[in-house]
Amino acid sequence: MGRTQTKSPSTGISSPVGVKSLLVFTVLLLAWMAGFLSRLFAVIRFESIIHEFDPWFNYRATAHMVKNGFYNFLNWFDERAWYPLGRIVGGTVYPGLMLTSGSIHYILNLLNIPVHIRDICVFLAPIFSGLTAIATYFLTKEIWSAGAGLFAACFIAVVPGYISRSVAGSYDNEGIAIFALMFTYFLWVKSVKTGSIFWAAMASLSYFYMVSAWGGYVYIINLIPLHIFALLLMGRFSHRIYTAYTTFYILGLICSMQIPFVGFQPIRTSEHMAAAGVFALLNAVAILKYLQSVMSQAEFRHFFIVAACTAAGVVFLAVVGLTWMGVVAPWSGRFYSLWDTGYAKIHIPIIASVSEHQPTTWFSFFFDLHILVATFPVGLWYCIKNVNDERVFIVLFAVSAVYFAGVMVRLMLTLTPVVCVLGGIAFSQLFEVYLKEEEPSRPNGGDSSDDDDDGEKNSRYDKAGKLRKMKHEQQATNDGLGVIRSMVIVAVLMILMMFSVHCTWVTSNAYSSPSIVLASYSQDGSRQILDDFREAYYWLSQNTADDARVMSWWDYGYQIAGMANRTTLVDNNTWNNSHIALVGKAMSSNETAAYSIMTALDVDYVLVIFGGVIGYSGDDINKFLWMVRIAEGEHPKEIRESDYFTDRGEFRVDSEGSTTLLNCLMYKLSYYRFGELKLDFRTPPGFDRTRNTVIGNKDFKLTYLEEAYTTEHWLVRIYRVKKPDEFNRPRIPVSQRKVKRRNVYLTKKTSKKRRGAIKNRPVVVKGQRPKAKPT
Amino acid sequence: MQATALFLLISCLFIVHTVIQCKKELTLSERVQQLSDAAVKKPVLRFNGDKFRQYVKGTPRNYSTIVMFTALAPSRQCGICRHAHDEFQLVANSWRYSQGFSNKLFFALVDFDEGPDVFQSLRLNSAPVFMHFPAKGKPKKVDTLDIQRVGFAAENIARWVAERTDIQIRVFRPPNYSGLLALVVLLALVVGLLYLRKNNLDFLYNKTTWALAALAFTFAMTSGQMWNHIRGPPFLQKTQSGNIAYIHGSSQGQFIVETYIVAMLNAAVVLGMILMTEAASKRDDVKKRKIYAIIGLGLVAFFFSLSLSIFRSKAHGYPYSFLLK
Repeated sequence: MGRTQTKSPSTGISSPVGVKSLLVFTVLLLAWMAGFLSRLFAVIRFESIIHEFDPWFNYRATAHMVKNGFYNFLNWFDERAWYPLGRIVGGTVYPGLMLTSGSIHYILNLLNIPVHIRDICVFLAPIFSGLTAIATYFLTKEIWSAGAGLFAACFIAVVPGYISRSVAGSYDNEGIAIFALMFTYFLWVKSVKTGSIFWAAMASLSYFYMVSAWGGYVYIINLIPLHIFALLLMGRFSHRIYTAYTTFYILGLICSMQIPFVGFQPIRTSEHMAAAGVFALLNAVAILKYLQSVMSQAEFRHFFIVAACTAAGVVFLAVVGLTWMGVVAPWSGRFYSLWDTGYAKIHIPIIASVSEHQPTTWFSFFFDLHILVATFPVGLWYCIKNVNDERVFIVLFAVSAVYFAGVMVRLMLTLTPVVCVLGGIAFSQLFEVYLKEEEPSRPNGGDSSDDDDDGEKNSRYDKAGKLRKMKHEQQATNDGLGVIRSMVIVAVLMILMMFSVHCTWVTSNAYSSPSIVLASYSQDGSRQILDDFREAYYWLSQNTADDARVMSWWDYGYQIAGMANRTTLVDNNTWNNSHIALVGKAMSSNETAAYSIMTALDVDYVLVIFGGVIGYSGDDINKFLWMVRIAEGEHPKEIRESDYFTDRGEFRVDSEGSTTLLNCLMYKLSYYRFGELKLDFRTPPGFDRTRNTVIGNKDFKLTYLEEAYTTEHWLVRIYRVKKPDEFNRPRIPVSQRKVKRRNVYLTKKTSKKRRGAIKNRPVVVKGQRPKAKPT
Repeated sequence: MQATALFLLISCLFIVHTVIQCKKELTLSERVQQLSDAAVKKPVLRFNGDKFRQYVKGTPRNYSTIVMFTALAPSRQCGICRHAHDEFQLVANSWRYSQGFSNKLFFALVDFDEGPDVFQSLRLNSAPVFMHFPAKGKPKKVDTLDIQRVGFAAENIARWVAERTDIQIRVFRPPNYSGLLALVVLLALVVGLLYLRKNNLDFLYNKTTWALAALAFTFAMTSGQMWNHIRGPPFLQKTQSGNIAYIHGSSQGQFIVETYIVAMLNAAVVLGMILMTEAASKRDDVKKRKIYAIIGLGLVAFFFSLSLSIFRSKAHGYPYSFLLK
């Protein structure tokens, strides 16, 4: 509230400062509570449970850390994942999430408040959403005004784009990372404004937390250098930004390298090179500025040209040379696909297969942001019109984030905070001029005090003089907008109310499903819970050997490990493409070929998800083409995608489908005995409700596998892989047998049995007749 | 004179005929030799009907042939054939200059105007068609490249060839300099412009230009232009009833024209908001400000409710609307 601070010494409730801070406190508290409560739909409807896929791994890792301690966690080698390879968990996770909930658990236990670690994990993201709201308030306050900050905080507390990743139970890195992101940006803006080492050091500490929490830290370490670069281009170099960036970069670099998973990446990969380059550039500019003050103008010009050319040449050669020598790794595929948008589709099917890596339609933008998608450009407009150092930052943030959100649905998450900031600015700007009738001050409470670099340009455009002239004549005409004023206020409030209603509706309908417990609603509104996933996982944990290996598609790896505690072959940490391709190959080959792969991989059980009975669309048959594609990428000889299509290029499971598809393992495991099942009277037996067809291959037996368990609604089907000595070998007619049966009759009787003795026959012991008793 | 000409012609024909007759008797090794010699000179062999029967259909063979049936004559007006020919040429060249170049695989081309009989015998009535003639046996169905599904980009042809013949060809596309050239030209234009206007660089400091550029970019992104770029949807679609659909019915897709409409709607709402704010903060004539405020309010309310109703038509079961249904 820098703008409204007065010199009045009284800070009681009656003073304006007291009232205002109370108001700010209340609004933020309410925003926190609203954000927290609206994220609880899933807990209230279902139960306090971890959602989806990745959270299950995070939960398992957290539980492991709480049980065994932090150092054991860092050294944890998980032999239950990626069988037979295993996974070094400590070195391949961002531990910030586990550390956060682990330390909360530790503190609560110290205070003698016994809370199960699962509850902390479930409620962590909603709690952090409140912290995000506060961080957003501070950032917006630094950039614009406290009023805009309050708007932004309220927006971010309820906006669906952020709720989608932070409902209760969605225990994932993003939940805490958005807080870390916004807090880092706040501290960065603060340090740019003040130029103090303290704030810059705080920013790098917050950056450290972000690095420990989420791979998206790369966005920060590229955006902040971009900010500096833009400021340099605009001729806004100052010692404040010099201090801020050099401190931040060096401390942040050293801190980020402490995370085992990140390690030496910050000095070795291309994603981080921009930061280093800007660091060098900033220092060069600082030196030049200093020399300029020492040298004469002609000398300086000569020196400048020579120095600039050599520096550019040296830097270019160094980067090319280092990349060529392999010291600096080129862009990794995941990041590269952000620039070359067609890249992933051609080269990395495993990235392209994930639904959240798809580009974003306008519908998703509107769905996740509602009115903000149409109003945040207004904030952008005013930020550019009244630009200063920190607003350059928010503009760059907005423009880059909107690009990334357009490329990938998932990155909507990084766009949402900046949309809230700019939307807050837009609405606060509007309300400020419409609510304050009597105060004819300049609308944009912005302080352009740091425009000192281009002072003479400013004087040309500055309208301050004009404004001052207007002040007195404006007072006379002020009441002109009377009715319209209230009309505008009412209409905009209506729209904001619709925004909050929309947010609640979207949260309740789209983002509050745990996806491991499904609910279906019948005609009369009664609810039916489908708990097949947990049923199957519980069955696995109770009825299989402790070291049993379960093969499934990678989506379910984390859940099997987390809920059934069994060894999996592949899981959601898709680090080894060829291993996944092997599983995909097994699923898409016929039973015999699959059996040889499965024995090679020591598979004991196969788990498939089948939605044909209840019409669940996210099942394995619908994902099947990705398995084929990924398998084809590694084994182009054996698996061909075209074999799974009909002649007309359709993917269909009915009798017109391709024979390869109708005989592959995934098809058989999904539809085994399904042909016998008649779901209702209107449809023939074997009617698949997900794909709305009668399946093509109804009558088949499994040779190498046997059905072990099928859940209530057939959602999860588990098969046991037979050992080589137990499956029924196909009968070969006698005439074709190579090994003829010998015609020798072999009796199985032992020599003892051959005699034909009766077992346990009472044996008569012969003896002498007892002599007649003397009578 | 005429008689001699006729005689010459007849003798020529006779010689050609005998040559063909001789060729019929060529052994396998000779044919392979001839094909290899030709392929070294020209990666894509041009066959007429006789040559086609001789080399491609003739038995025994120990080599595969990839044949493109096409119609390149300008009178046939086959635009797609040109592209296909270029891509095919690219694959053949890559094969010719690759490490593993051997006499197991040849690339050939049959033009409709040079061998219509081939087209007839294979019952082809469209062009271009890519067929693989394996070393043993007749081509099966999968030996015809499915252009509809796979397309005929050189990489796809190479992958299909690898599928059919187990010979991997890495396609070497000559690097596409047009993008780089365009960039250079653009840079030169910008630099030239800056140089011409070096005395007056104010437009670079013009915030309105920058703000408009940023807003345009934002509208492009939030209206899903990137999705269009990646997925390539149709511009608009005709429905079964013959009407033209501007809005895609489901939330999963969008038409290009639809995204333009959405960008307009967003821009109109932004304009309305700015007008409203400016109307209240500017200190002009009251009447003008009133009109601005009302226009702004109308823009925001109307266009926002319009986009909400479009949204609603796409999201089935969405309960809320504002002003418009």
